Amino acid sequence: MSILANKDTRAVIIGGIAGVNAARRMAQFDFLINRPLTVQAFVYPPEEGQQKEIYRGGELNNVTVYSSLAKALEENPQINTALIYIGASRAYQSAKEALDAKGIKLVTMITEGVPEKDAKRLRKYALECGKIFNGPSSIGIMSAGECRLGVIGGEFKNLKLCNLYRPGSFGVITKSGGLSNEAMWLCAQNGNGITSAVAIGGDSYPGTDFVTYLNMFENDPETKAVVIIGEVGGTLEEEAAEWLGKEIRRIKVIASIGGTCQDVLPQGMKFGHAGAKEGKKGLGSARSKINALREAGAVVPETFGGLSKAIKQVYQELLKSGVIKPEAELDEKLLPALPPSVQEVMKQGDIIVEPLIRTTISDDRGEEPRYVGYAASELCEKGYGIEDVISLLWNKKLPSKEESEIIKRIIMISADHGPAVSGAFGSIIAACAGIDLPQAVSAGMTMIGPRFGGAVTNAGKYFKYGVKEYPNDIPGFLNWMKENVGPVPGIGHRVKSVKNPDKRVKYLVDYVTNQTTLHTPCLDYALQVEKITTAKKDNLILNVDGTIGCILVDLDFPEYSFNGFFVLARTIGMIGHWIDQNNQNSRLIRLYDYLINYAVKEEREVPEKK
Amino acid sequence: MAKILEGPAMKLFNKWGIPVPNYVVIMDPDRLAQLGEANKWLRESKLVVKAHEAIGGRFKLGLVKLGLNLDEAYEAAKEMIGREIGTSVVHQVIVAEMLDHDEEYYLSIAGNRDGSELLLSNKGGVDIEEHWDTVKRLFIPLDETPSLESITEAAHEAGFVGEIAERVAKIASRLILCFEDEDAQSIEINPLVIRKSDMRFAALDAVMNIDWDARFRHADWDFKPVSEIGRSYTEAEQQIMDIDARIKGSVKLVEVPGGDIALLTAGGGASVFYSDAVVARGGCIANYAEYSGDPPDWAVEALTETICRLPHIKHIIVGGAIANFTDVKATFSGIINGFRESKSKGYLENVQIWVRRGGPNENQGLAAMKKLQEEGFDIHVYDRSMPMTDIVDLALNS
Repeated sequence: MSILANKDTRAVIIGGIAGVNAARRMAQFDFLINRPLTVQAFVYPPEEGQQKEIYRGGELNNVTVYSSLAKALEENPQINTALIYIGASRAYQSAKEALDAKGIKLVTMITEGVPEKDAKRLRKYALECGKIFNGPSSIGIMSAGECRLGVIGGEFKNLKLCNLYRPGSFGVITKSGGLSNEAMWLCAQNGNGITSAVAIGGDSYPGTDFVTYLNMFENDPETKAVVIIGEVGGTLEEEAAEWLGKEIRRIKVIASIGGTCQDVLPQGMKFGHAGAKEGKKGLGSARSKINALREAGAVVPETFGGLSKAIKQVYQELLKSGVIKPEAELDEKLLPALPPSVQEVMKQGDIIVEPLIRTTISDDRGEEPRYVGYAASELCEKGYGIEDVISLLWNKKLPSKEESEIIKRIIMISADHGPAVSGAFGSIIAACAGIDLPQAVSAGMTMIGPRFGGAVTNAGKYFKYGVKEYPNDIPGFLNWMKENVGPVPGIGHRVKSVKNPDKRVKYLVDYVTNQTTLHTPCLDYALQVEKITTAKKDNLILNVDGTIGCILVDLDFPEYSFNGFFVLARTIGMIGHWIDQNNQNSRLIRLYDYLINYAVKEEREVPEKK
Repeated sequence: MAKILEGPAMKLFNKWGIPVPNYVVIMDPDRLAQLGEANKWLRESKLVVKAHEAIGGRFKLGLVKLGLNLDEAYEAAKEMIGREIGTSVVHQVIVAEMLDHDEEYYLSIAGNRDGSELLLSNKGGVDIEEHWDTVKRLFIPLDETPSLESITEAAHEAGFVGEIAERVAKIASRLILCFEDEDAQSIEINPLVIRKSDMRFAALDAVMNIDWDARFRHADWDFKPVSEIGRSYTEAEQQIMDIDARIKGSVKLVEVPGGDIALLTAGGGASVFYSDAVVARGGCIANYAEYSGDPPDWAVEALTETICRLPHIKHIIVGGAIANFTDVKATFSGIINGFRESKSKGYLENVQIWVRRGGPNENQGLAAMKKLQEEGFDIHVYDRSMPMTDIVDLALNS
């Protein structure tokens, strides 16, 4: 047996993330004792319609979030308990609504910092409705083996250590949340555990009091003794003492009262819970409470540490007198273990999971990203540049100084080619249409392909093939290309020619061959090819794509990376064009009619649809 | 209880039509001369100058000066502003009109669980304690407004007669309004004075406590409550309060000069029991501390370092109940870092540390704490099987 919460309790949680976390903890308890899910619904307007994932052991449940309590109750009429987790400014309204709901008998409020007047009104209103309003600032209510409301009881392991999977004989009532857990532990360690434990909260005017619950425990035949943990301030403990002394009670009362230190501390120095404030003339002092309780027959040890002995003593007496019958302890090993998450099991090495992806270049699991093992900040510290990072992430090795300089030049030379080319123009049109940077740049990026900027990879690939298969036979290579591929990628230009050479190509070739010691078999081969093709036609020159492709082959970059150099370099330009258009506040553009040849049918009538 | 200073209380009284004397609050004595030119009452009335700070026993400290003219008030203000009293400094003074009066009354209201209680006496002033039995008490149920007739009747029972009874009842009814609408916890006016020649009333002194938790519904509360601990906060306390205001969960600190047992305890309930245990065993606490609600580790680290710097400490009690959801491993890692940092700065010399805790990830947290022994800390670590406050006994018996 129990008080307040039992196997029939079905709860709604009013509030956001804290409430969802509590529901998860509550479901762990549901799993431990194999009862249906306690939390049936959430009320939190900002997340209306969402489903919250709540695991009861390995079983995944989806609990709906409603915009109002009325809607939640309409679809879940079985709900009889409300937990208030919502912020202090809305707590009063939410609790009042819950008290108004016909099916709800118990409202318990976890919210802290609720104005006193709101708490007083809720207490009064609950009394008028004949319902229980517990809290504010209550960690929750626990009925061993039956129901957990709130995070009371802590982590799963603690639920077992405190024997909360089956009822004992002790009731617990505390103001403090942390001490409710401690008291449950003390009852398990020194007695046979609890029936129910209630935290009433440490505010000045809690909705309930010790007497409310003492009466309930007195009427619960399974509860044989009650542990009360009170503190300085208010008169709830005195009222409990009065209740105890008034007539012969079935239950034993053990109590501990905090705040005796305030007798000796400097005047006015107060601390602890909001309600822990001594009144004028020593009213509500810890000492007066201790005395009242002792006089009424409660066992009150001198310090909190003495509670262990006191509980043990009462338990032994109850055993001796036969009020409590000793029961065989459950073998804890028979209790279910919380299913671990995949991560936890993997950490223990008990399962193998086939990875979904594999990476060989980058690791973000440490304090900072590492590129092929090197910490990014250390690369910066030691004077490496962006070209070295490119080489690391694309080719997995640190280039030499010479190689770095070549990579840097390739990027610099390819960064932009004016507004007229497909990529830049695409980005500009998008920018003028008010499109944001990433989308506008990807509009330009979309243009990169076989006719615009996309020849680097194929150029490199086929010249490399030539070097390997037709080392001293360029006509043979050209023949093979003609039969198997078509025009040689990297050869030919729309406007440039032998007489009107591409300065970029000239510079790159000159730099690589004359100013570095790089061995350039592929570039040399391509230049040989160019000699033959330009002899046929003036504009069949080695273009910039071909030059870059060959140099990258000579730099030993992987084939797949070649186009990346153009994409990366040109991104710089496209971002520039987007910024430029936005700086100028450019307007939407469209093509003028005279730039379009309308090669269309004449106007004609639409025939009737057959 | 959140006490507010006289200035803000007077402002709220004004708002609700409770008569107050003319007053100004100033930070610079020179301002008083200018105000004197603008306000006739400053030139023509007798004045009282009081330090406008949360300092107890102001009269004895010379921080209240009575019966002054404007020049004397200027001198008094100049003398008071900037004075250091213990850890507090006088930044402001309140200069008020000293109403010549014939009688002093007592009027107060305080909340209780079922509503509030109005107290009336026609024997106010410093003697109120002697006449406590003659004070008339009127219970006001929650959310009910007593009729003016019933308050007048109570005034009669308190010994007020005729027009004075009616006027006192009227002021009391406004006090009730002010109490209700401003989410007050208690208001005490002592004395409420009367000058019979023109039947002028004024609340000469007032102590008001408001419910700071209700501030979300009071847009015009432009003040902050004063220190709850009967003195100004120390720099260290202020630092911890600043951290507390920024984090999820909370960290709290109150210094208690002269003690040698430092507390680094968790939870609002358990922390008080640890203080009790020290006192019960004849020890002296050097501070009260509390961390709760799963605060971030850096906040606990800051609290730890502050506590390690307390002078003359011999023991630190790292105590706590079995936490519901505060992560022991995470909060302990903050404490451990705080200990290490403090030790490297030369603190914790000859200090014994006593630990008892339970809760989420308790095993890892306690094991990490225990490892500090290898680093030369004099640390004793106990788990949940040690009764909560018994580490205090161990510390004091060591």
